[in-house]
Amino acid sequence: MSGTDVRLDKVRKTFGPVVAVNDVTLEIERGTIFSLLGPSGCGKTTTLRLIAGFEQPSAGEVYIRGQRVTAIAPYRRDFSMVFQSYALFPHLDVAENVAFGLRMRRVPRSDRGALVKEALALVKLDALADRYPRQLSGGQQQRVALARALVIKPAVLLLDEPLGALDKMLREEMQVELRELQQRLGITAVFVTHDQEEALTLSDRVAVMRNGVIEQTGAPREIYDRPVSEFVAGFLGASNFLDGRVLSRDGGIAVVETAGGAVRVAGASAPIGAAVRLAVRPERVRMNRPGGEGLPARLRSIVYRGSVTHYYMDSAGGALLAYAQNAAAGDWSAGDEVRCAWDAGSAVLVAPERA
Amino acid sequence: MRGMKSLWAWVLLTPPLAVALVLFVVPLLYLFYVSLHAASPSEIHGSALTLANYTSILSDPFYLGIIRRTLGTAAAILGLCLVIGYPVAYFVALLPPRRRMFVLLLLLFPLMVSNVVRAYGWVALLGRRGVINTGLRDLGVIDVPLDLLYSTEAVVVGLMTILLPYMVITIANTLSALDRRYEEAAQALGAGPVRTFVHVTLPLSTPGIASGMLLVFLLTLSAYVTITLLGGPRSKLLVSMVYDSVVGFQWPRAAALAFILLALALALTGIILAVLRPNRIQGTGR
Repeated sequence: MSGTDVRLDKVRKTFGPVVAVNDVTLEIERGTIFSLLGPSGCGKTTTLRLIAGFEQPSAGEVYIRGQRVTAIAPYRRDFSMVFQSYALFPHLDVAENVAFGLRMRRVPRSDRGALVKEALALVKLDALADRYPRQLSGGQQQRVALARALVIKPAVLLLDEPLGALDKMLREEMQVELRELQQRLGITAVFVTHDQEEALTLSDRVAVMRNGVIEQTGAPREIYDRPVSEFVAGFLGASNFLDGRVLSRDGGIAVVETAGGAVRVAGASAPIGAAVRLAVRPERVRMNRPGGEGLPARLRSIVYRGSVTHYYMDSAGGALLAYAQNAAAGDWSAGDEVRCAWDAGSAVLVAPERA
Repeated sequence: MRGMKSLWAWVLLTPPLAVALVLFVVPLLYLFYVSLHAASPSEIHGSALTLANYTSILSDPFYLGIIRRTLGTAAAILGLCLVIGYPVAYFVALLPPRRRMFVLLLLLFPLMVSNVVRAYGWVALLGRRGVINTGLRDLGVIDVPLDLLYSTEAVVVGLMTILLPYMVITIANTLSALDRRYEEAAQALGAGPVRTFVHVTLPLSTPGIASGMLLVFLLTLSAYVTITLLGGPRSKLLVSMVYDSVVGFQWPRAAALAFILLALALALTGIILAVLRPNRIQGTGR
C-alpha cells in the first residue's frame, strides 16, 4: 500500500480575471485521506473539480495513479465522487443508484446484485435497498451516496463537503465512521471541507488553502501545533498572538522580547533583531500566581464550558486566552493578577497577516 | 391553529369554487343530460332518455374514422413536437439565463399572430396557386399543381408549428432547473455523454415532457380554426363534427360528440401520466 494516487503539478485555474487555483502542487499517498481545508472561495472545491475533470486547468498537469489525465474526460478517469447535495438519482431506488456505476462499467447483471448488497452492508443500509432517495433522511442519503461511490472501487474517492448538510451530532458520528471505513478498505480520498475539526478528525494530511494557494500542508498535529502563518493558526482554532523582537538565540531556541517580557520559542529560525509574531494555543497556556514565572496579565472574565473553562486576560502585549481542564482548574476570579507561561515548544513563530 | 388555517383556506377557496361550479360543472352536467336525449325539431332536446346518440356515433364507420383520424393527427403532432422540440429545448436550457430568456421570447413571438392569420399564411403557401406550387411549376418540376392544402398533412404541419413553442418552453424550463450535479454524478460513475443523457437527463426531464405533451395534445383536440382552414372538408376531425352538428341543430348529437372528445382527452391524459410518471421525480408517491 504505497505510491502516489493523485498528483497535481503546478495546476492553475482562472475564471476570467479571477485566479481560483494558483499553481497548486500536491501529492496524495495511496490509502490516505487528504483534506483541502479553507474558507469559502479559497479554491478547495475548484481543486477537487480539477482532479475530477469537471474543470479544465488553465495550466499544469493532473495525474491519477501515475497516468496523466489532464486532457481526459471525467467519465474516463478512475475516481468517484460524493457531492455535498449527494446528487442521488431521484428516479432510481437505492439499489439502482448504487448499481449505476457498475452498469456504466458494464459489470454483468448477475454480479451486480452481490456487489450492491455488499456496498449497502458497508454503510449499514441493506434494509433500505428498495426505497427511493426522497424517502430517506439526510444521513441515509449520505450513506447511499457513499455506497454508490465505493462500489466501483475507484482509485480515488473525491468528497465535496459530504457532511456539510448534516446536523452536528450526526456529522461527528459520520466522521468517525467514514474514517474507519476508509482505513478498513484502504481507500485513497480527497476531502474538501471548511470545518477545521472535521479536517483534523479525518485526515492523514491536511492542506490549508487561501486565495487559491496552499498555505501549509502537513499532518493534522503538525498544522495545528506548528502553523507557519497567522492565518493557518487562526483558521485551525483559537490562538494567542504576541509581537516581539528576537533578542538572542541558543541553539534552536530563540528568546523573544515582547511588551510584557521575554519568552522562549523553540524551532525558530528568525535572525537576531528580527521583528516576529509568535502564536500559542490557549490550552498550552499555564496560569501562575504573581511571583511565579510568566508574562503578567489581569483576568478579565471567566467562561465555564463544562469540560473546560476559558480564561480571558489582558496583558501588555494584548489579549490572552487560556483553556484549562476543569478537573485541574485553579480557583480564579475576575480581576486577579496572573502570570501566563508556556513551554518553549508550545510557541511558534508565524508569518503575520499584512493588516 | 390548524382548524383556523383550514377554515381560512375554505373561506378563500369558496368564491372560485362557486364560480367553477356555476360556470363549468353545472353546464357540463346539463350538456351530459342533453346528450342523453333524442333530437327535437322545436326544442333543444326531445323528452325521452336514450343512449342512441352514443351508440349511433360509436357504431358508425364514418364517425369511427373521424375518431381514428383525430387520434392519428394528434399523435403525429405530438411526435413531431417532441422530436423537434426536445433538442431545441436542450440547447436553449444550456444558454446563460439572459440569452435563454431572449431565445424563449423569440420562440413565443409567432404566438402573437392570430391563428386565423397564420392559417391563411399556410393557405397562401400551400394552395394550388400558392407559393410552393407556382414556384415548382416555374422551375418546370411539375405540370399539374400538387394537392398540398386541405389534407391531414397540412393540418399536422399547421398545428405543429403553432404548438411547438409550448413543448420547447415546458421542456426547457424543466431542463434548466435540473441540478447539473446529477449529470456530473453520472460522469463520475463512468457514464459518457450519451449514457448520461439516456440514463439521467432524459428520465429527469419527464415532468417537462409530460406537461409539454399534455399541453400539445389538449390544444390539438380543441383547435378549430387551423383544422377547418387547412383541413378543408376532406380532413375533418372530431371538433369539426361538433360544430357541424350544432350548425345542423343536432344539439344532443353535438353534446354526445363533445363528451366523446372529453373522454378521449381524459383517457390519453391518463395514459401519458401513467407512462411517464412525472410525479416520481417531482415529489411524493410513485
